Amino acid sequence: MSRPDPIRKSSPDTQKKPLSTEEQLKQSAFQEEALVHINALYNYALHLTMNPDDAHDLVQETYLKAYRFFGSFEKGTNCKAWLFKILKNNYINRYRKNVREPGKVDYDLIKDFYHTIKDTRRDNTETETDYFHSLLHEEVYMAMQSLPEEFREVIQLCDIEGFTYEEIANMVESPIGTVRSRLYRGRKLLRGQLEEYAKKFGFNTEKDR
Amino acid sequence: MKCNKARELMSAAVDGELTSRENQTLTLHLKECSLCREEFEEAKKTKQIIQEKIVRFKAPQSLVNSIMELSLSGCKEPSDPPMID
Repeated sequence: MSRPDPIRKSSPDTQKKPLSTEEQLKQSAFQEEALVHINALYNYALHLTMNPDDAHDLVQETYLKAYRFFGSFEKGTNCKAWLFKILKNNYINRYRKNVREPGKVDYDLIKDFYHTIKDTRRDNTETETDYFHSLLHEEVYMAMQSLPEEFREVIQLCDIEGFTYEEIANMVESPIGTVRSRLYRGRKLLRGQLEEYAKKFGFNTEKDR
Repeated sequence: MKCNKARELMSAAVDGELTSRENQTLTLHLKECSLCREEFEEAKKTKQIIQEKIVRFKAPQSLVNSIMELSLSGCKEPSDPPMID
């Protein structure tokens, strides 16, 4: 005799008490404001953990916590930034001690990881012939992964997730000036990496130096 | 303004994060310095390339479903085995 799966509470008849009006309001506000960011959160979790199962758990935990503390979310502020901050804290508490040390990048692991979960979609705007446009998704990804975490993190939050410096500063718990300078230095490093890839393909990047 | 300082400002300029005074200073410098103008174009391109070329992974449907169910149940934690640190 098996016990019902606790997650499937919504099956008919077995029924738990109906939610209070207050709870229902919270629920619908939560769905409207928070659930729409699930793809961004998962994407970020995946880049942090480099493991789909861990990313799954991290996002699930983030939503559980977010729901519990949804009352403390300030309406009108950026819910995505709030969720990212929760996810980041969860990640630090749970996974951080297992991640690679700065400067120790396992390229084979990254490559395997990338190939395992790679989405095959490609953009079709690759008609330009300059070296930037000749770069493949994988190369840009590898270049990003080769950066020290403190740089990669701010670039990801700024360029991929579109957060403001103030939001990023809050997430990484550093002053705005630090975010600004990490972005500057990180991008400089990244460009160096990208140019290395470009050179391998025979693009001359020296003219721009 | 020196080119070094201008280059630092460019990164924040690309993100629209300069103060209006910094913006003015940079604009003035760019008018006078062709090397920095080229550099500025490169800085914009670097941001663009990251935005265009980094693959974004979508949450698997199973995760979306489980979060939906959790939120519908008032986020009672599932009694799956907890993860142990």
